[in-house]
Amino acid sequence: MPKITFIEDDGTEHAVEAGADASVMQAAMDNLVPGIVAECGGYANCATCHVYIDPAWADKLPAPEEAEEVMIEAAFDVRPTSRLSCQVQVTEDTDGLIVRLPASQTGA
Amino acid sequence: MTTSSTMDIPAHVPEDRVVDFDYLRPAGINEDLHVAWKNAQDTLPDIFWTPRNGGHWVVTRADAIKAIQLDHKRFSHARLSIGGPYAREGSVVQMDPPRHGSYRMLVSPTFSPKAVAALEPIVRETTVSIVEELRPKGECEFVGDFAQIVPVVVFLGTVDLPAEDRDYLLPLAEKVIRPRDRQEHHEGHTALDEYVARALAARAKQPGSDLLSKIVTARIGGEPIAFEAAVALSQVVLAAGLDTVASILGFVVRFLALNPGHRQQLIDDASLVPNAVEELIRRHGLVNSARLITQDTEFQGMRLKEGEQILVPNHLYGLDERQVDNPLVVDFTRPHPEQHYAAFGNGPHRCPGSFLAKLELTVFLQEWLARIPDFAIKPGTTPRIASGPVNTIQELHLAWDTDPR
Repeated sequence: MPKITFIEDDGTEHAVEAGADASVMQAAMDNLVPGIVAECGGYANCATCHVYIDPAWADKLPAPEEAEEVMIEAAFDVRPTSRLSCQVQVTEDTDGLIVRLPASQTGA
Repeated sequence: MTTSSTMDIPAHVPEDRVVDFDYLRPAGINEDLHVAWKNAQDTLPDIFWTPRNGGHWVVTRADAIKAIQLDHKRFSHARLSIGGPYAREGSVVQMDPPRHGSYRMLVSPTFSPKAVAALEPIVRETTVSIVEELRPKGECEFVGDFAQIVPVVVFLGTVDLPAEDRDYLLPLAEKVIRPRDRQEHHEGHTALDEYVARALAARAKQPGSDLLSKIVTARIGGEPIAFEAAVALSQVVLAAGLDTVASILGFVVRFLALNPGHRQQLIDDASLVPNAVEELIRRHGLVNSARLITQDTEFQGMRLKEGEQILVPNHLYGLDERQVDNPLVVDFTRPHPEQHYAAFGNGPHRCPGSFLAKLELTVFLQEWLARIPDFAIKPGTTPRIASGPVNTIQELHLAWDTDPR
């Protein structure tokens, strides 16, 4: 199973194994990784599963679709490698993916 | 039974799944609407057919409610209320994916947590000013004096329209939120359409950075959005926050009026408020929407036919003891109540305004309880409670002591 490492804003690391066909968001939720809200449940509608893809990985993932792009802009503290993790699909090719979490999804 | 709202039982419906259930009038809603619906969930089959309101299916349990909301291929939004109109061009709530997505993405960013945080000053100022005005009076009719006003003012702020338009919109909101009859409800919606059409026409000429400008200048599939579709979409943004916000505020304030211990808990520990908001939403869900069945199919052992309707009472999700313990108990310390309700729906249509709704409720609890901590349902009055596409409290008189101690 593909491995993903989530790194919280304070540096805490969570190495998880993602299920096949899961999104990165789902992998985080399934493994109780803190720092993702995913209010809308995975439809790029809420911008609360915002993550930063490790720069080494950013170009290896399929580019975001328009619906994701417009929602990324509505997240807090957006950076060039920002993605909505519900729209990033786990595959064999993403084995070893590194994902950093923002300080807050909701500004709270 | 031979009233106009009944019809023959279709041959494919098993006899033991036919229940005479009128979702507009479940027994006992005047005591506690949600207990009345919970009683239906406890005593009726998980899925049944009622001849009432033109004849339709009903599901009652969380698993079915969620499954239907996630299955737009079999359960379409094209006819979203029982016996209601079929989809109107540009009405985002009545579209199915993938078309729905290109309209939805125009609206969602405006209601992200970051965007909503920017609306907090308007929500707070509005809330405080109304409560300050009400406090010395010692009483109010909560729906008209508070619950209807907040969403109207917040909408105007959200789309950068003049705050003075409130006086024009409030009587229209009244017609939409608590119409005396279907005609008045229709008139209210038509007038809101005309209002947003005027605003959109002005923004088309002189676009700004607001949501209405964004909608009216949008491109859908490479083509400029049809004006009618822009009107329908904008009207949904306005109308979707009216009866829903007014209704949840009504149920919440009624609960607090009847439960001084819960009030005191929030006054003693303000840090409980965010979780209390989630718990109050779980316990007081609102929506009874319907789906149009698109094909002959099987669901939970029943044969459903193309063209039939099925009622999806998503307020019952949060009351289903199969997924949440002691569902009728309001417990502000319950862990993660937000994981145990479907009050905002599930799937691509999930309410984009949920963060705004929660902000409005949070600010209401903070500012109202700080100024009117002790209040009750006004003696001699009875709240008017109604079950419908959006469960609601139509009238709620409150009273409090203006000079405590």
